[in-house]
Amino acid sequence: MAPLGSYLALSAILFAIGMIGFLSRRNIILMLVSAEIMLNAVNVSLAGFSHHMADQRGQILALFVIAVAAAELAAGLGLVIALTRNRPGVNIEDLTQLKW
Amino acid sequence: MAISAGQIVFYYLAAASIASAILAVTRANPVHGMLWVLALFLHVAGIFLLAGAEFLAAVQVIVYAGAILVFYLFFLMLLDLPAEAAGPRFGRHWPLCALAGFAFAALALWVRIPGLTPAGELTASASRGSLRTFGLALFQQFVLPFEILSLVLLAAIVGAVVVARGRTGS
Repeated sequence: MAPLGSYLALSAILFAIGMIGFLSRRNIILMLVSAEIMLNAVNVSLAGFSHHMADQRGQILALFVIAVAAAELAAGLGLVIALTRNRPGVNIEDLTQLKW
Repeated sequence: MAISAGQIVFYYLAAASIASAILAVTRANPVHGMLWVLALFLHVAGIFLLAGAEFLAAVQVIVYAGAILVFYLFFLMLLDLPAEAAGPRFGRHWPLCALAGFAFAALALWVRIPGLTPAGELTASASRGSLRTFGLALFQQFVLPFEILSLVLLAAIVGAVVVARGRTGS
């Protein structure tokens, strides 16, 4: 079996990739998908800890993370619909109404 | 040091998921990026299988790769895809973002936990991944967070409907 360190390293790298994607993409939907990548990276870390420590609470936490990801999807895409109704396009740099 | 078959499979899955994650956040076409995210989710499901979390792997495939990703693809249809693919895919500040991401990865890889040893008996892991023990723990020890989670999902669904419907209802 793979050691815990490799699970954690994989989780850290996936989280960093998701973070780069979330910060740098201009498309709101792809930003939300990058957030899903980050949540998935955390799930990898939780499953690794659960395996290593022979404790299934990590798996239950990962299940809760998946449900929160579904909630985030519903709320985020509702916001995207509301945005695209007011102005076409999902470019994050166009949303400057609050800028003074 | 002998390398077992499980380790080879793990390193393949890890390399494939990192590669598909990188491709997913860098493709210009959002649909291609979404399909790479699908590859990422399936490989992560394989990692869950290796970690003895069979139910989690099934949920990953059904909920993430099935429901969530299809929903995202459906919402991509709102976009003007050719114009979206032609424009710049990253904001002007992307070097700063890449720097932040690399700094995070370096920090997370640098932090080691030396004294991390198994807390419980490893022999108990035979029944650990089974659905029965999982369900018993979920509905006994974690029943309150489980119910709160259902409220969170309900609030998110109702909120999404309210936000997306707009002013027509008033």
